[in-house]
Amino acid sequence: MSDRLKKIFSEKEPRTKLISYFVGCYPDYDQSLSLMKEAIDNGVSILEIGYVTSEASAEGSIIKKAHDHVLSNGGNLNDIINLVKDLRSYSDKIGIVLMGYIANLYKYPIPKFVDDIKKAGADAVLVVDAPHELKEENQLREALNKNGLSLIKLAAPTTDDNRLKDIINIASGFLYQVNVSGVTGDKSADETDVANFVKRIKILTNIPVCSGFGIKSPKDAKKMANSGCNGVIVGSTFVKYIQDNLSAPELTKSFGKQVKSFSEVLK
Amino acid sequence: MTKNSYKTGPDELGYFGEGDAAMGGMAVGETLMPVLHELNQGFEDAIKDQSFLDEFDYHCKHYIGRPSPLYFAENLTRKLGGAKILFKREHLNHTLSHKVTNSLFQVLLAKRMKKKALICESGAGQHFSATAAVAAKFGMPLTGVMGDIDIARVNQNIIKAKHYGAKLKSVPGTLKEAITEAIKTFSSNPDYAYICGSAVSSAPYPRIVQFAQSVIGREIREQSMAQEGRLPNMLIACCGGGSNLIGMIHEFLDEPEIIKIGVEAAETAALSNGTPGIMQGMKTYMLQTADGSKSLGGASLGAGIQYFSVGPQHSFLKDQGAVTYTSATDKEILEAYKLIASTEGICSALEPMAGAAELIKQAKNKPKDYLICLNLCGTGEKDLNTIQEHIGKDFE
Repeated sequence: MSDRLKKIFSEKEPRTKLISYFVGCYPDYDQSLSLMKEAIDNGVSILEIGYVTSEASAEGSIIKKAHDHVLSNGGNLNDIINLVKDLRSYSDKIGIVLMGYIANLYKYPIPKFVDDIKKAGADAVLVVDAPHELKEENQLREALNKNGLSLIKLAAPTTDDNRLKDIINIASGFLYQVNVSGVTGDKSADETDVANFVKRIKILTNIPVCSGFGIKSPKDAKKMANSGCNGVIVGSTFVKYIQDNLSAPELTKSFGKQVKSFSEVLK
Repeated sequence: MTKNSYKTGPDELGYFGEGDAAMGGMAVGETLMPVLHELNQGFEDAIKDQSFLDEFDYHCKHYIGRPSPLYFAENLTRKLGGAKILFKREHLNHTLSHKVTNSLFQVLLAKRMKKKALICESGAGQHFSATAAVAAKFGMPLTGVMGDIDIARVNQNIIKAKHYGAKLKSVPGTLKEAITEAIKTFSSNPDYAYICGSAVSSAPYPRIVQFAQSVIGREIREQSMAQEGRLPNMLIACCGGGSNLIGMIHEFLDEPEIIKIGVEAAETAALSNGTPGIMQGMKTYMLQTADGSKSLGGASLGAGIQYFSVGPQHSFLKDQGAVTYTSATDKEILEAYKLIASTEGICSALEPMAGAAELIKQAKNKPKDYLICLNLCGTGEKDLNTIQEHIGKDFE
């Protein structure tokens, strides 16, 4: 379990943590770094940094487009780990989660990956297509736990209570509550569904619950925060903002304002 | 999975083999995990239900027209002057390929599990048109996902699928992209049934497809004993995801004296040129960059075998040395097509002609009492434009 994530969720302010997803190295290394630094300065508690793979099975069109951009420019997992290093030296407090698919980690391979990200200063890893039934998930989880890092587990609307208990048993850092079935940046989250889901999880565990998928505006974020979750995760909305403003002269600054509009409502 | 049989796998988590070398598994997002466990349970229940199996057999016979003939290719045998050659004529099934048997099985299973709508992917369009036909018969709506490159080259299957009432979703690319998109569509609609067309993807699909298609091998055993008084010495089939191959050889996996050969497209030969990796729900051999971030592979004329990866059971069988895997180039595929069309009067799909290319090499050097069986898994109608374009002048 990551001590830094524990500390983040033990702090009273902000009441609901803002977690933002970035496609690492999008649009390039330097810009990606300054956008994430700007996010730190504007109230983000945890950064999720996506590393890319060509057969990503949970990404909608917005994030896929960013993935394809990074893939064709040759941005790889080593670059992402360097980003972590740079971000860690910028902030000792920010939570850093690496997020992606098992394909790259398997080839890295897993033990070296865990060593390298620990040295770089990451706190946790989230692997979209690695359920606890997968051997490589077991290897990764064991290696992360041994090193004081967390494997972030997901719960989906299709997850029944028995399975939820199994997931909670192995969850570390926080539980990623997937609000809607499907790919990123597509459907909108329904307030009542999310609130019921949070309630269902909270009966079973004290681990922080962060709610993601389908949060498209500060208003959505506020609604989700009212559902009782400990954090809200914003991905496609931020990636789209970057995508739509790639040639804007003051992208970093205006992006900071965009992030702030979310973090403000979560205080 | 018992250690002394290749026919009992995979284990309950979808692994073929043991330890770090095991292939298969379940590498999908959490949204699909409960759904796949439910499917596995539904499958296990169904195959213990004799009335369900009887229903499957009934439609295999009356709707598909099974068993498909085991045919003595006399002219080809004479021409090559070596082994005696048999064709398992899966191209004579309803919808003209082996795919329909799997579609029928999975649609019946979906119906038994009270599913209301279907999704499928397709490369050559054979699985799309087959599933569309079965979906029409059983009154279920179907959305098929295909790559735009394939849509352009196997147009006839798409026209047929539309006539059967299916909807087409196009993505840029080929079979690989169609599979990834089908998983996304399934994640967005977890209450649908995903009818997976090959022995690929997350568990339990490789096992379900193997179960449905293994009727091919059982028929070969029966027909070969009745017609030849013995079993073939060698079984050959093409291999993309590997469903027609596993369907042919599964019955014989514990008989090492019968040689089994799978033939991939040279441009996407995952088993010959790939390394183990984890993409599209499964751990298996695949063509990929060294860091696992990108799938690789070129283009083959056979849309159905142009696939950078392969079903996990084949990766396991390769590692065990139980099956030999080779590959065929476009040129070899076209040569084999010409030979079989002109000697036997059979217009085959290009995919099984990868198998035929290997057959030609093998048969020449074998004695006359050596029996080789090729799985002729699809018809060439869908490929006529491609064939005409590449070797049309050779027939004039």
